[in-house]
Amino acid sequence: MPDPGDLANLQHGVPAVAVSDRSTRANRTGSWKYIRPVYQDKVAPCNQACPAGIDIEASMNLVREGRVEDAVDLLLRENPFPATSGRICHRECERVCNRASFDEAVSIHAVERALGEIALQRPLPAPAPRTRTETIGIVGAGPAGLSAAYQLVRLGYGVTIYEAEDEPGGFLRYGVPEYRLPRSIVRGEIARIIALGVEIACRVRVGRDLSLEALRKHNAVLLTIEAHRGRPLDIEGARLTGVQPGLAFLAELNRGLRPAVGKRVVVLGGDSTAIECACAALRLGASVSLVHHGGREDLPACVDEVQQAACEGVRFEFHAAATALIPVPLGVDSAAIDGVEASFDEHHDAETPPRVASVRCVRFAPADDSGLPREVPGSAFSIVADTVLVALGEEADLRALPAAVAQALGKARADAFGATSDDKLFVCGDLLGGPRTIEQAIGSGKRAAIAIDHRLREAAGIAVRRPDLAALRLGPEGSVSMTRWREDDPVRRAEPINDVVTYEQLNTAHFARVPRVRDRYMTSEWTRGTFGEANLGLTRDGGIAEACRCFNCGVCNSCEVCLVFCPDAAITRASDGGYHLSYKYCKGCGVCAAECPRCAMTMTREDS
Amino acid sequence: MIRDAIPREELMDPGHLACPGCAAALAMRLVLKGLGKKTIVTLPACCWTIVAGPWPQSSLQVPLFHTAFETAAAAASGIKAALTVRGDHETTVVAWAGDGGTFDIGLQALSGAAERNEDILYCCYDNEAYMNTGIQRSSATPWGAWTTTTPAGHPEAHPKKDILGIMAAHRVPYAATACVAYPDDLMAKVIRAKATRGTRFLHILAPCPPGWRTEDEESIEIARMAVRSRVFPLLEVEDGERWRFTMEHAPEPVEPYIRKQGRFRHLTDEQVAFIQHEVDARWERLERRVKHGV
Amino acid sequence: MKKVIMGNHAVSWGVKLARAEVIAAYPITPQTQVVEALAEMCADGRLEARFIKVESEHSAMAACIGASAAGARTFTATSSQGLLLMHEMLHWAGMGRLPVVMADVNRAVAPGWSIWTDQNDSLAQRDTGWIQLYCENNQEVLDTTIQAFRLAETVNLPVMIVLDAFFLSHTSEPVDIPEAADVDAFLPRREAALKLDVNDPHAFGSLTRPDVYMEMRLRQQEAMDYSIAALESIDAEWGRRFGRRWGAIECDRTEDADTVLVTSGTVTSTARTVVDERRARGEKVGLVKVKMFRPFPTQLLRAALAGVRRVAVLDRNISPGHGGIFAEELRSALYDLEPARRPDVDGFIIGLGGRDVTPRVIAECLDRAAPGTPGAEAREDLWVGVKP
Repeated sequence: MPDPGDLANLQHGVPAVAVSDRSTRANRTGSWKYIRPVYQDKVAPCNQACPAGIDIEASMNLVREGRVEDAVDLLLRENPFPATSGRICHRECERVCNRASFDEAVSIHAVERALGEIALQRPLPAPAPRTRTETIGIVGAGPAGLSAAYQLVRLGYGVTIYEAEDEPGGFLRYGVPEYRLPRSIVRGEIARIIALGVEIACRVRVGRDLSLEALRKHNAVLLTIEAHRGRPLDIEGARLTGVQPGLAFLAELNRGLRPAVGKRVVVLGGDSTAIECACAALRLGASVSLVHHGGREDLPACVDEVQQAACEGVRFEFHAAATALIPVPLGVDSAAIDGVEASFDEHHDAETPPRVASVRCVRFAPADDSGLPREVPGSAFSIVADTVLVALGEEADLRALPAAVAQALGKARADAFGATSDDKLFVCGDLLGGPRTIEQAIGSGKRAAIAIDHRLREAAGIAVRRPDLAALRLGPEGSVSMTRWREDDPVRRAEPINDVVTYEQLNTAHFARVPRVRDRYMTSEWTRGTFGEANLGLTRDGGIAEACRCFNCGVCNSCEVCLVFCPDAAITRASDGGYHLSYKYCKGCGVCAAECPRCAMTMTREDS
Repeated sequence: MIRDAIPREELMDPGHLACPGCAAALAMRLVLKGLGKKTIVTLPACCWTIVAGPWPQSSLQVPLFHTAFETAAAAASGIKAALTVRGDHETTVVAWAGDGGTFDIGLQALSGAAERNEDILYCCYDNEAYMNTGIQRSSATPWGAWTTTTPAGHPEAHPKKDILGIMAAHRVPYAATACVAYPDDLMAKVIRAKATRGTRFLHILAPCPPGWRTEDEESIEIARMAVRSRVFPLLEVEDGERWRFTMEHAPEPVEPYIRKQGRFRHLTDEQVAFIQHEVDARWERLERRVKHGV
Repeated sequence: MKKVIMGNHAVSWGVKLARAEVIAAYPITPQTQVVEALAEMCADGRLEARFIKVESEHSAMAACIGASAAGARTFTATSSQGLLLMHEMLHWAGMGRLPVVMADVNRAVAPGWSIWTDQNDSLAQRDTGWIQLYCENNQEVLDTTIQAFRLAETVNLPVMIVLDAFFLSHTSEPVDIPEAADVDAFLPRREAALKLDVNDPHAFGSLTRPDVYMEMRLRQQEAMDYSIAALESIDAEWGRRFGRRWGAIECDRTEDADTVLVTSGTVTSTARTVVDERRARGEKVGLVKVKMFRPFPTQLLRAALAGVRRVAVLDRNISPGHGGIFAEELRSALYDLEPARRPDVDGFIIGLGGRDVTPRVIAECLDRAAPGTPGAEAREDLWVGVKP
């Protein structure tokens, strides 16, 4: 006979009072929703913008997590020259960094450089396992060729580079002056490539020391020759003594020679080469002016290098162009003269043209609606100069190529990856056109490596997908990722899609304003007198602090804002380091996706 | 990162019956995280009566006592007395009430408990109307708002009751406002309240999508805007005398906050300007209190 | 120990001996001495209890309910307006199956203000699920208070001890106060089987749907029904330990009676003298004192009154629109007796608003009790002692 005073036990099927005996977990409130959130990693704009195809966002995240060595490894998957590119690349990434709309862009180049320097402190790697029998011959040990070699040796191939110069490196070795890119850095990063097993044969000029036919003994041949010349100066006085192409000036400098410059140098042009010429000339004791047709903001060089040049004393003449170079009049000591105009027709020594004495220029008004800058009438002025360095950009010049190569190229069309209709012939680097920067070279070499890997494995009967640009590129317009080609991404991705995240898609309420860590520059008094490195970059702590400023656009970085704000406690930590979203309970309110600081979640229709 | 400020333990289960995007559910979840397992909650009639789940379910992993509408503070006082007399001086007793059960029908019991300095933590989650019964006005409904009893032709005509001022007048040891959009601030206040003895009062703003006529996903953003536009300042008061802002920031205008909510859709620009004026005046009064305690 | 104490203090002594743990109370005439004495006992440590000086009776009951739900032994006292204000929460204690004990000093309800006794306040709570025990003298008040805790915690229902305003509350009588150790042996510490416990968390009182609410009511009803036997058993034990028994009802000279008076509260004492008088005159008059009004002791009353020709119920209360409440409940209880054994029941409304109920008033009721006549007026209650 049950005791009516007993509350705890059931009678008539119920307890005596409404006391709970189970959780609300019995309710599948997930049936209420008609939309659901999914974790969906997207592409950060920096990744899309990087011509080298580096996963910048993921590297930043690894640094933030304290996994600096892993960040270095991730970087080295795509870029063999981080200490170099961190110094001289054009930072397309920073221009599109979403953080710039919040406070200041992340100093991506500086973090990359810091990681590159950590990599240089490691012992040289062991040779990469030789898993394939095929060999590849690469012509030209510039950054494009080195990038391709690096990727191919890591894919298991035998790789030999044939380089005409005394040392490998291309413009890294012979183009960029030391104060910007110390030789030790270049050599150190190339040493890493050689340690992996790449053979580099220097002082071998294809067409002279080695024929294209001989190259074909390799299973694939990759042409990366720099085929360019500086755009010539096409004004009166262009052939005066003291007028020289900027690239030749820098090459001489980088070979350890002392190029002939006077005391008053005028640089014509505005890209990195021009700035480098100007700063190098300063260090050789000259006073320097630089003449550029556009404004400061139009200079196709890094803001930092322009700023540094200005601090060191380069005088910028913006919105101006040279209209004529005026020689020293006959019989006059060129060193003592200030701007005297003389008729060009009067020089007598046809073999040694007279020295330049001044540069006549004219000003431009900023571009009007037609887009063309207009000369300002009556604005002519002169700059005293005994040396003029011409750095008006470069253009392709196939005539510089060996005949056999030029002929072969003339017949073979290259696709987006550098494969040609000639089965064995591949092309990358300058020969494909495009901006001549280290980041472009890295990307170009990588694409060629993919094309070669595909063709060789296909020829060997291995099932391999055709390289699909849309799938391999980071974002709809990005460069190509070797990690995607190799399908061995060490970073956990949730349903990745190839869309790029804009600033408007972020939720910046979860960020605080933090100033950008600045590169450490030596004083310009010191730097202008030496070719020692002017910019010391960031300290390790500074690099970590800067990496923490990265918004990690589009990719979950485990901030747990979604988990904290879910009113239904439907998000929990998963064992693999990600998050488990319980659709059994999720009501589709959308708070998680709305609050996600980095747009790493997407709301989708329930039935899709 | 926010995750480092929020304790990991979950003491509220999913499957509860709150509307999608309900900030009151999030408020309970966060407060329980701060208080931990040694907590007893008493709940008067309010949305959470339903959210908690019907018999035989409970959404909470701590004991929960449902009580009559006006009695949250009184029931909590009784529970605390029982625990004390049986030697438990650790368990936190929480009265968890809506704005109706706090500002209106529950005000007497709250005042009595506060005057006696009962050792309870009283949390009012404020969605600014009687939402559980279908969006009728309470004395927490802000001026100008639509509710079913203050329709658009004759919207709420009285300013929101100053519950924090009322609690300060009782000189309770600790009273504070908090907001689900600032969970680290809320958590710090919960933890501080837990460690304080006597009557502690937390006034938590909890936007309600059906009642405020906002989108489900906007609840946090709306709550954030309420704080940033100074409509709902984040404050602490100790012993009724020492006032402190816990969040200072450049003020944002009220208009975007107002215009984002359907319950204010009928307001003219002049009325919105009036609201701005009142918010500014109230902020000045708060600044005086922070500076001078009066 | 024998002391001369007022009824209110008999309650206080009972609560102290029962070792109540949480007391939440609000003052109202004529209850105040109950809580004043308890406040003193708490203050000087004679009683180790938390005393919450709540700001209203509604909060008093809410606090008691909270404390009881958390496993403590709880007590409050009130009267009249205070009891009415508590009404919502009385239901909460009832359906919540919480063993709260409360002393109600029967006081007439306003308006106009009255501080004098009648039973409307407590009887208006008859549907709230509280056991109601009406006391006749201060000894009974003290004994019943202690028994109330034992009964409440046995059946898990709240118990109300009812005593008349001023006639008991403020009247001093000699009372035998038991020893604490003896009471402890009779009434151990409360150990609630179900309570608010952080080591075993549950929700109490959630939304309860039609498919289960009715069964919970049924369980409450069954507990109520069981309370009669439970009280008798507890009272029997009390009798063994302390030498006094009160019963759920008391029958005085009913075995051979023609007419039986049915009374409650202090009117019972006065009625006893009238029964003595009539018996001395040779009239076969008897008395049934109803102590337990809820649950209504139907079987006991049937057994006591079956075969009696005439029953006169004295109601110090009125349910407006119907009649005296004891009378109506009794009639309903006796209805199923076979007609030959069913007494005629006359109801008498007396003493409302504290009007004195003298032997003369009771005699008038006896004299006016007449055999039931067909076609009698529907209300069947006679108001005695009122101005025409």
